Amino acid sequence: RMEASCLELALEGERLCKAGDCRAGVSFFEAAVQVGTEDLKTLSAIYSQLGNAYFYLHEYTKALEYHHHDLTLARTIGDLLGEAKASGNLGNTLKVLGNFEEAIVCCQRHLDISRELNDKVGEARALYNLGNVYHSKGKNVANAGTHDPGELPEDVKNALQKAANYYEENLTIVTELGDRAAQGRAFGNLGNTRYLLGDFRSAVLAHEQRLLIAKEFGDRSAERRAYSNLGNAYIFLGEFETAAEYYKRTLQLARQLQDRAVEAQACYSLGNTYTLLQDYEKAIDYHLKHLVIAQELNDKIGEGRACWSLGNAYTALGNHDQAMHFAERHLEISREVGDRSGELTARLNLSDLQMVLGLSYSTNNSMMAECHVVENSFNGTRPRAGRRHSMENMELMKLTPEKVQNWN
Amino acid sequence: SQPLAGHQAAELQSKVVPSKQILHSDNMEMEPETMETKSVTEYFSKLHMGSLVYSCTSKRKNK
Repeated sequence: RMEASCLELALEGERLCKAGDCRAGVSFFEAAVQVGTEDLKTLSAIYSQLGNAYFYLHEYTKALEYHHHDLTLARTIGDLLGEAKASGNLGNTLKVLGNFEEAIVCCQRHLDISRELNDKVGEARALYNLGNVYHSKGKNVANAGTHDPGELPEDVKNALQKAANYYEENLTIVTELGDRAAQGRAFGNLGNTRYLLGDFRSAVLAHEQRLLIAKEFGDRSAERRAYSNLGNAYIFLGEFETAAEYYKRTLQLARQLQDRAVEAQACYSLGNTYTLLQDYEKAIDYHLKHLVIAQELNDKIGEGRACWSLGNAYTALGNHDQAMHFAERHLEISREVGDRSGELTARLNLSDLQMVLGLSYSTNNSMMAECHVVENSFNGTRPRAGRRHSMENMELMKLTPEKVQNWN
Repeated sequence: SQPLAGHQAAELQSKVVPSKQILHSDNMEMEPETMETKSVTEYFSKLHMGSLVYSCTSKRKNK
C-alpha cells in the first residue's frame, strides 16, 4: 500500500513537471519522498527529477542537494548510467553556483562513464556541458576586469579555448548522430565563445548556422538569440549598420514574443549602435524606449543605464539642459541602488556639464552666443534661468587643474 | 584661441562618444542547459511492471 502510494505521488509529480508546472510537481515529489520506498532506483529517479525541477525554478541550492542524493544513491546501487546522469546534473548545477572546479570534475565523470558505456548521446551531452562550464569559468574571470573581447588574460583565454574545443567535439558527434537541435545549441554557444575570444568572423559563421537551424525548427526564441548575437559580433567588426539591422530583427521578435525585458535590451543595444553611428536622435529615441520599459519593469539598474546613456547622447547633441536632467537622475538612481561607480560617473558628468553650462551662460563673447542659438534649436526650449544663475559663481571655482585632468 | 567654454563643450562631446565596450555588457545570449532525465514511468515499463502502473493510474481515475 505504501509502495503504491509513493509511486502514485511520483507519477503525478512527473506528469505535472512534463506539463510545465514544476512548482506543483515538486510538492508531489517531496510527498513521495516523505512516504518513502524500498526501491532505490525509484528513489533515484525521484531525487533526479526533484533536482531538475528545482534547477528550472532557479533554486540551485535545493537542486544541488537532490542531485547529490541521486549521485550517492546511484553509486550505492552500482547504477553506472544513473551515476553518469547524476554527475552531469550535479556539474550543471555547480556551474550555475560558480563552483567551476567541482563542476568540471562532475562533467568529466559524466563524459568518462559515457565513453566507458559507449553511449554516444551521453558523450555528446557531457561534452556540451563541459563546454558550458569552461565558457562560464572564462566569462566569470573576464568579468572581474574590464577589457574588450579579444584582449584577455591568459587564464581566461585558456578556459574559453577549452570551451570552444569541447563544443567542436560535441558538434562532430551530434552531426554524426544527425541531431539538429543539439547542433543548434552547440553553434550558439560556440559562436559566443569565439566572440569572447575576439574571433568575430567565425563567431558570425557559427551564429549564422544557429539561425539556420532555429528557422528549421520554427524556434523563434532561438532565432531571436541568434539575431542578437549576430548584432553583437557585427559591432566589433565595426559594421554598425549591419548590427543595427540584426538588433531591429531582435526587437521585432521580442515584441512578437511579448518579452518586455528582451525588448528593453534590444532598444538599449540599438541606442548604443546609433550612438556609434553618431545618429544621436535615433539613439535618444531607442534609449527613451528602453527607459520606459525599465521603469515599467521596475528595473532600477536598467533605468540608471538609460539615464546615463541619454545624458551622453544629449551632451553629444549639445543639449546640455536635457543632459543635466538625465545626469541628475542617473546620480539619484545610482545612490538608490548603491552603485558606487555609477554614482562617481554621474558626479563627474554633472560637474562637467555644470562647468560647460556655467561658463557658456556666464560668458558674453560671440562664440557663446552662437552656442545658445545652436542649443535652443536642438532643444526647442529655453535654458532654465534659475539653474543657470545658481551655478554661475560656483562653477568657476571648480575649474582646478585636478578637475581638468579628470576629463581625459 | 577658442574660448574656454566652447573648448570644454567640444571636449565633453567627444568624451561621451562611447567605445564598443558599453555594448559588451552582459547581453550575450546563451543556449539553454541540457539536464539528464530519469523517470519512474520508464523504469517501471522497463521492468515490465505495467500492471502495477496500470493499477495505480486506474486507482487515480476512480478517485
